[in-house]
Amino acid sequence: MQREEAIAALAAVRDGALSVATMQTVLAWHEAGQAATDHVDNMGCMGTASALGLGLALAQPDRRVMVLDGDGSLLMQLGSLVTIAGAAPPNYYHFVFDNGLYETTGNQPLPARVDFCGLARSAGYRDAVSFDRADALREALPGIFASEGPILVRLAIAREDGPIRWPRVKMADQVVALKERLATQP
Amino acid sequence: MSTTSPGSTGTAAAPAPVARPVEGAVLLREIQQLGITHVITVPDTHQKTLLELLAAAARPRLLTVCTEDEAIAINAGLYIGGQRPMLLIQNNGLLASINALKAIALEARVPTFFLVGQFARDVTRSNAESPVRAVRMVEPTMATWGVPCYPIEGPEDVPAIARAYRQCLEERGPAVALLGAPTS
Repeated sequence: MQREEAIAALAAVRDGALSVATMQTVLAWHEAGQAATDHVDNMGCMGTASALGLGLALAQPDRRVMVLDGDGSLLMQLGSLVTIAGAAPPNYYHFVFDNGLYETTGNQPLPARVDFCGLARSAGYRDAVSFDRADALREALPGIFASEGPILVRLAIAREDGPIRWPRVKMADQVVALKERLATQP
Repeated sequence: MSTTSPGSTGTAAAPAPVARPVEGAVLLREIQQLGITHVITVPDTHQKTLLELLAAAARPRLLTVCTEDEAIAINAGLYIGGQRPMLLIQNNGLLASINALKAIALEARVPTFFLVGQFARDVTRSNAESPVRAVRMVEPTMATWGVPCYPIEGPEDVPAIARAYRQCLEERGPAVALLGAPTS
């Protein structure tokens, strides 16, 4: 499936969930109109989006939290699967965009392909599911969001070769905006 | 330098400690008084007694994680979500987490308060005189990044923990309280 198809499917069911995006999901999430509120990008520190989302999920237990992660990013902090499973936030939904490539540096292959669903289940996630077709993802997402997390959803996406672009938004500004919004509209 | 007095058996006196233990209970009380909601830890040998007390305490919540990078990011999520978290780690872990400190605490301006144990410190020597790089280099490394560092060399320095934490909140950035001796 194409990244934009997966992004559109996630945006369609978001329904007020808090979101964290990183690396190549950042621009796509912004262009889908999902980054204006209730959102923060994990920038300048590849690998920590899942942990940032965990902190949000623990702090805001009544809000669903969606983490839009990358395969290479998750591999950088693979232990976070164990940390997340240990904390077991029921409002945590972990989407891993997997094409086996380090895209921002020029589509070099990962050291190896891994079974992210198997890793998540072994770590102790409540569930882990994989999709390679957008229609199947669209059909399953409402049920996934109706289930308790933490759940990992692996999204098999196609390689992209376009130029790398980033939104002109500072994470520091997003931090302030989201903190203020959560303080006034919990 | 050690000396022997006339008539002594010739046994050299032990060097006086530069850093003295702070009771874990004192640190726990300080943390609770600051209103800390979560202590995020990659466990630290130096702070065993404090960790034991935190594990048994009703508040703050003790959250054990796998890496210090994660701890910094979890701290950010908790802070954004309205909580008052802090980190409890050791010197080696602080040095391992510089990129996360750079991106999240400094560039994204997230208050990030570290209570850091000086693992492998010889308490009879100052940090600067330590032959252990992890001990000797923490303060200069933090200075290089512009991160304030508050040495906690004994019970009289405990009030610096509150100053460091408040500086984090006011300046929206990191600060380190550096615990010189193992907690008692």
